[in-house]
This record gives sequence, structure tokens and C-alpha cells, in this order.
Amino acid sequence: MKERTQARASSPLAVLALLVTATANAHHLAWWSLPLLTLAAGWHALALRRGHALPGRWARLAFTVLLTCGVLLSFRTLNGLSAGATLLSAMCAAKLFEARSLRDWQIIVGATLFLLLAACLDAQQLWRLPLYALCLWLCAAALRGMAGGTRPPLGTLLRESGRQLLYALPLTVVLFLFFPRLPGAFWAIPVEGDAITGLGDEMTPGDIARLVESDAPALRVRFAGALPPVSERYWRGPVLHDFDGKTWRRRRAIAAPSTPLELHGLAYSYSATIEPNTHGTVIALEMTLPPGTVGLTYTDDFQLLLARSLTQTQSFELTAYPLAHRPARLPEALREIDLALPLDRNPRTRELALQMRAKAVDDAAFVRVVLDYFRTGGFEYTLTPHRLGYDSSDDLLFSTHEGFCGHFASAFVDLMRAGGVPARVVTGYQGGEWNPIGHYLTVRQSDAHAWAEVWIASSGWQRADPTAAVSPDRVNREWLAFEGGANREGARLGAGARWLATALQSWDALSAWWQDEVVGFDAAHQLRLASWLGLGDRDWHALAIALAAGLALWLGWIAWSLRRLVRSERPDVLGRAWRRLDQRLARAGHPRAAHEGVLAYCQRLAISAPEMARSLSPLALEYARLRYGPPAGGGEFREFVRAARRFRALPH
Amino acid sequence: MPATLRVRLTERIARWARKRQGEDLLPVVLRARRLYILPTRAGYGAAVLLFVMLVAGLNYTNSLALLLTFLLAGFVLVGMHECQRTLLGLELISVHAPDCSAGEEGLLELRFANHAGSARRALAVRSAYSAPVPFELGPGEQLTVRARHRCDRRGRHRISRLELSSTAPFGLFRSWTWLYLPVEVLVYPRALGTRPLPPPLAGRAAVNQPELIRGDEEWSSLRAYQAGDSPRGIAWKIVARGGPYMVGQYTGSAGSDYRLELAALDSLNLEAALSQLRVWVDSCTRLGANCSVELAGSQLPAGRGPQHRTTLLRALALYGEPPP
Repeated sequence: MKERTQARASSPLAVLALLVTATANAHHLAWWSLPLLTLAAGWHALALRRGHALPGRWARLAFTVLLTCGVLLSFRTLNGLSAGATLLSAMCAAKLFEARSLRDWQIIVGATLFLLLAACLDAQQLWRLPLYALCLWLCAAALRGMAGGTRPPLGTLLRESGRQLLYALPLTVVLFLFFPRLPGAFWAIPVEGDAITGLGDEMTPGDIARLVESDAPALRVRFAGALPPVSERYWRGPVLHDFDGKTWRRRRAIAAPSTPLELHGLAYSYSATIEPNTHGTVIALEMTLPPGTVGLTYTDDFQLLLARSLTQTQSFELTAYPLAHRPARLPEALREIDLALPLDRNPRTRELALQMRAKAVDDAAFVRVVLDYFRTGGFEYTLTPHRLGYDSSDDLLFSTHEGFCGHFASAFVDLMRAGGVPARVVTGYQGGEWNPIGHYLTVRQSDAHAWAEVWIASSGWQRADPTAAVSPDRVNREWLAFEGGANREGARLGAGARWLATALQSWDALSAWWQDEVVGFDAAHQLRLASWLGLGDRDWHALAIALAAGLALWLGWIAWSLRRLVRSERPDVLGRAWRRLDQRLARAGHPRAAHEGVLAYCQRLAISAPEMARSLSPLALEYARLRYGPPAGGGEFREFVRAARRFRALPH
Repeated sequence: MPATLRVRLTERIARWARKRQGEDLLPVVLRARRLYILPTRAGYGAAVLLFVMLVAGLNYTNSLALLLTFLLAGFVLVGMHECQRTLLGLELISVHAPDCSAGEEGLLELRFANHAGSARRALAVRSAYSAPVPFELGPGEQLTVRARHRCDRRGRHRISRLELSSTAPFGLFRSWTWLYLPVEVLVYPRALGTRPLPPPLAGRAAVNQPELIRGDEEWSSLRAYQAGDSPRGIAWKIVARGGPYMVGQYTGSAGSDYRLELAALDSLNLEAALSQLRVWVDSCTRLGANCSVELAGSQLPAGRGPQHRTTLLRALALYGEPPP
């Protein structure tokens, strides 16, 4: 049965809102979502102009099933944020094909708001804020066009909905600050870890022909006190143990014994805000102790591991003890892991290591000899190295002689292990850029680095950075990143574009503020705020009081500001002047009746109070002339007002 | 909620409102005390949507989602205020209710004035029997709105309860007020009856008996057939051509006198008799004949024309009712 119903009601604003909101979601929808929506919107517009019949019920049902299958094919599930958002946008497209009544359009706007929610849940960067605000504004305007009756013009809708949203802003702030937050999730649907970082679970430097750099921040760090010196700014991430001659991999995390460190010496307290990543490691300074946070595992190779990958930007309060005493004993199992090498790979490296070990008196001296070898062996630092084969260390040390941090760390650890010194590759970040506006350190993806840790029996695990030996500049210059320092604003733009660097830093600081204070606003922030306001601390009562007070104030304010909608138009100059005359005459005992015009009133007055009528009638005539006669100049109005003011009613 | 329960509940609340707000006196300026407001179906939908958004935001401790939710909640609340403001201060200046017939829709002309400096949109007025009549008022505008009402019994009736509502600004809330207007409407007996017109008064009948003319062209005009019309008056030629049933109207033959007596219809009950009398009066008016009506105890003067018809029908409408 084909319904020959025509698309009747339409809301171009709702279609626009839907398209813009879908675009805001574009980064995590299936690739076909946007084209489909555009197609549906185009079809709808055409159907409206030409009066096509809308598709019948069976066609719609088939279409819905097809779309659901499409989502299943793209995501293998309907659960999850991206799959859900894709399904929602697909259903919106389907709805556009059959939208007919006001109710259909209300549903479309509701779904659009849900899409906007999905975008908010998925991405919270500061630059997206104007985009989201635009989406919301369009939705609000579309809603205002659905009151029934004739729809006001587009400009009116946008203006009025904008005003309505502005009126809502104070309430938003009150609710945002004082609406009780939950400390954690009580129900979870899987959120895809689609974060991309410079670090991963494995490292194959030989396969990389060109290291693409990203200026995206990896973490931001605020220090409570002094900053560690530049040479100590090594941010540890995943530690790689397993080597097959070419690729380094992580191994299963093993929790550390209960008292791994003796704490003493200098301490750096800091708060690290870490961008989403897939490796699930809290990037931290060396010798950072596990904080009180639940859900973090401190491993025997000093990593701070989360239960799963970090899907949202999160802050951690941490303390590092760089001088902490390290354990003097290496468990046998760990020693075996960190000495393992594939037997049939890199034979020349093994030979070289044994030669150098023979020359050195002890392990520490061996490390120094190998570092010297990297320093003087004619190695070159480059971001576009030659590819390496299966014997990656042999290729690097004996043929290509060039590479970046990953290459050198890999070959160095290979040499160490071959020489009988337990060693491992540590990936992470090195350096960081001080933001003087926000007073924090920004560590970017382009600061990604790889170095080595070696076990010296007398002093425990020691950091050894072969890249620093090859190219000391990379590590020691404050403003240059380890990898590709050319990326730094200051260096890149030159001194002449200082203002641009400042602008970029300001933007970064603003983003950091947004991230920390708005996106990161949580239950703890709330309690701090309540106690700062003197509402008593650690008590939900305080929040309830603040919430109620804020709500009451806002409601009062709204009621007061909307008076304008019902207030009568202010009488004009003439009306006000005559009203004052009326009041005086009424006090004198001659009230003008509601139905009486001023001239009729004068005639009546001529009978009851002829004296007063004589003085009033010129005023009344002038009033009638100004009000109903040919257009008069402003001067005449002012003259009338003055004359009316001079009039004195005589008591009878 | 089942429809009947809903209707009964509404009736109860309306009665309570009546007791609370008392009789209206024209002109009526709507004050906050008598304005009621509830979410519409879409409004309840929006509440569910907001709740889900809130739960999602709280669950994921996602500040941006919460920000969006709170902003939307504020937006909706501002809209709620605006919805009430759409009616607040609206003035009903006058109500005019022309006479109507029992069992048929009657017209109700309501004149509204908007004294505010902003438009009042998505307004609607309705009586218990009619669909809402939508209208809107620009800033400072006055407008006459034509609504329909319906009475099933003849006589003098108070206008039943009217409901004035608005769904501005976005259809999520509906605010309304009930108007209990001190306006009466005269309802004529319904035009129902098949008895032939009694013969005209003797003496002039022979001369002025309307001719049974067989040609449509002799009629001065045609009008649509109504129940009670004589089959002889139907323009059968038009029907034969596939046209609608039309009845011929005579201009001329003025001068016939009819006396229509209630007493002659004592085989019918009173209402049926009055209905029959009404049909006769209408027929006489159509014929352009003089007619007089004699009700028990009172004789209405003879006359002709629409004015006279109104007088007669009013008398029929009020027959047996105590004077106001």
C-alpha cells in the first residue's frame, strides 16, 4: 500500500540543525552517514517543491532494516557511542523521507539534540565549543518554529531563541556548579578508544621511513613547587621488554612488591592532565609513586597502569622522588626477561657487544663505553631514516648509521643485553614547553622519545639515553623538542613572529583552563567550591542550599525580565502629558470617564465647571490636533507638554 | 489516560476553577491567578530527553554533556514562563453571539486586544463543541475571532465554558484559561417537521395561492434544499441533470396571509410542535407571505420579511420560558 501523502509541514531550520550537528559528529560517524543525511535533506527539499509522494510503509521498513544492517557492518555492534550516533543519524535520514506532521519534526529535533549530546560525550576540545553552541542555537530556533500556528520568519526565530538561550545561561552556570555530581560511572557502555598518540604497545623503528610529527598535546603538567631541571624531564610511558630482532613489545604487567621504594630526597608534586591514549599508561616522571587513586596498578618496571585505555582527558595528582633509593636486587625472572635476545638475529651486534664488554672492567664501565661508541661512531640523527631489515641493530650499527631515538634505544638495549647487562626500552616523552601564561608545562606528541634503562648491580636501574649521546642538543635545549625541535613555535616562527607564538600560547593556556576547570569539573571541584564559598565543606547540604538559592534567584530574575512581554506599550509623550492632566482633574473632583474623549470631556466640563473648561479647552483642541491632525513637529509636542504642566485644576 | 477519564477530570477541574475565579465580566483582562499551565505531550517527551541526557552526563562525568543538558533545561524553563506570558494581560473586549438553531453550530465572535509591545502567538480558542480556532495577535493589535458553539435545546442559554490557550513559544507547554462569560444566546427550535403549510386565510387565498409553476425559470432564485421543504418546491430539472437538490424561491405572490397556530398541532409534543411552527415560519418567509403565529395565550402580530421572522423565531425560542 503506497501512501500518497505529501510532505506538508517542513522545517528548514530543523534540517539545517540536523546537518550541522551531524557534521560536528563527523569524526566518529561511519563514512556514509553524512552523504546519506545530505541526500535525505535534498530529497526532502525536492519533495517539498515538486510534491512527490512520500515512500510507503513497506519501503520505509525496508529502508530502516537496511540502515541498521549498514551500522552493523560498519561497527560490528549497535552498542557504543559511535555506532549509536551513526544509527541515530541514519534514522534521522529515514525520518526525513517521511516527515509529515509537526510531531515528526519534533522527533527530528529531539534526535538532533541527542546527536549533539553524543558529540559532547565524544569530544570536548575548546575549539568545538562554538560549533556546539551553533548546533544548540539552530535546534532551539527550530523548536521555536514548532509552536503551532504560523511560523515566524527565520530572523525572528533565531533572535528570539538566542535571547531565550541567553536567559538560560545563568541557570546553566548555577546548575553546572552546584548540581551534585557522581564520583564515578554507575553504568557503562563501551566507549571506543580511538585516541591516537605517539606511543603504542610496540615499537618497530626499522619500519618507519618518515616520522610524522604532531603538535597535539600529550599531557599538561602543573607543578606545585619547583620544576625539575631540563635534563630530568623524562616522562615515562610504556616499557618494552620483548625483542624479536626488529620489534619491541610490552609484556604482561606484573604488580610491584608492596614497598618498592625508599622515599627520600627531593620531591616534585605535580598534576598531570593526560590526553586520551590507547596504551593505558599514566605518563609520569621517573620514580613517581602510585597516588591514592583507585584503579591504578604500579608495576615492577615502574609503570602506572590504568585498568583500560584512557578514553578521556583525565588529571592525576602525582609526586615524583627522583633521588629515591632503588631496589638493590633484581628478581631472577625479570633479569631473564631483560637479558633475552633472539639467538639468530643481529650476530654482528652480539660480537661487537662482547668485544666492548671484554674491554670494560665492570657493567657501569661497559655502559659508558657503549654510550661513547654512539657519541663517536659517526651516527646521525634524522627523522627520515633508511628502513632496516630483520637484523635491525646490525643494519643500524654497521650500514645506515642514522636514525631517531627509537633506533638508537633499540640498538643500545640490544648491545647491553648481548653484553650481559639487563636492559629495557622505555618509551615516553622528553622535555616539554613552558607556558608562561598558564604556568604549566605542555608535552606534545612531537616530544615523544625512547630511551633505555640498564641494571647496574651497585645502583639498580639507571637511565641511559643513547640519543643524547648521538645528538646532545636534542635533549638539553629548553625550547627545542627532542625529536624535531624545528617544531617549536618560537623556533619555527622566528623572533619576528613573537606575537603569534604568544597568541598560540594563550590559546593553549585557555584550552588548558577549559580542560581543567570546565571539562574536568567534578565532585571534588564542587566540594572545594562549596567550602570556598563558606557553605561548609564536605557536605551535600551546602550544594543543595546553593542550588536552591541560585534557582530561586534565577526564577525571580526571569519573571522580572519577561515582564517586558506583557507590559503595555508606554504611552507616548502626549498620552503621558494628558494622563497627568487627568490625575489633576480627578483630584479636583472632575474625573474623566473611561469612554470619554478629551473633547467630549471638555464639553461636559463646560456645563459642570465652565471656568475650568475654558482654560482646558485650548489644551484639548491642541491635543486633538497633535494626535489626529496633520503631522506636527517635535517643538509643538514640547510646547504642549509645557502648557499641560502649567495647567492648574481649580478645586470646586 | 482513557479519554473519558480525561474528560471527567477536566470537567471537575473546570468546575473547581469556576468556583475559584467566579463569573467573568467583560472586558476580561487575563491575570496570572486564572492561568493554568501543563506540558504538552511533546513537553513530556522533552522532559524524558532531558532526564536521559542528565543521566548520561552524570554517568560519564562529562561536564560538556551536563552543560548542554542544563542549558537546555534553562531554555525550556524560560519557554515555560514565556508560555504563561503569552496569555497574561490579554484582553477579551467583547463577545457577540448571534441567534442560532438548536442542534446546529452557532457563531461566536470574540474580540481580543493585545496591549503588549510584543506579539502573542499560537493562541487558540475553543468551546466545548468545537475544534480550537487558532489565531495570533501582533503587538498592540485587536482581532475578532470567530468560534463555534452548539446548543441542543431551544431557549435562552448561557455560552458554555470557553477555553483560551496558547502553546507558544515552542509547543512544549500549553497554558490556558477558562472563560465563563455572562453572554446569552437565543437558540431557535430546530427546523424539523413534515406537515404541509396550513391553507392561507380565507378570502385572499384564492387570489394569492402561490402558483405551482412547473418551470424553473419562474423562480426568482434557488437555494439549497433544507429538511422540511416541500417536495413541490424542488427544482427537479436540476436534479435530473445531476445537480444538487435545490429549492425555488418565489418573489412575488405577496399578500397571502397565514395564521400558524400552536393549538393546531396538539397531536405533537411541545418541542415537535414548535419545530413544526418554525418550519412553517421559514416557509412563509421564503414565500414572502404574511404570517402570524398564535401561541397558547398570545398572538404575535402578522408581518413579513427577515426581521419579522427573527421576531417570530425568538418568540418560539422563548415560549414557555420565564421572562429574564
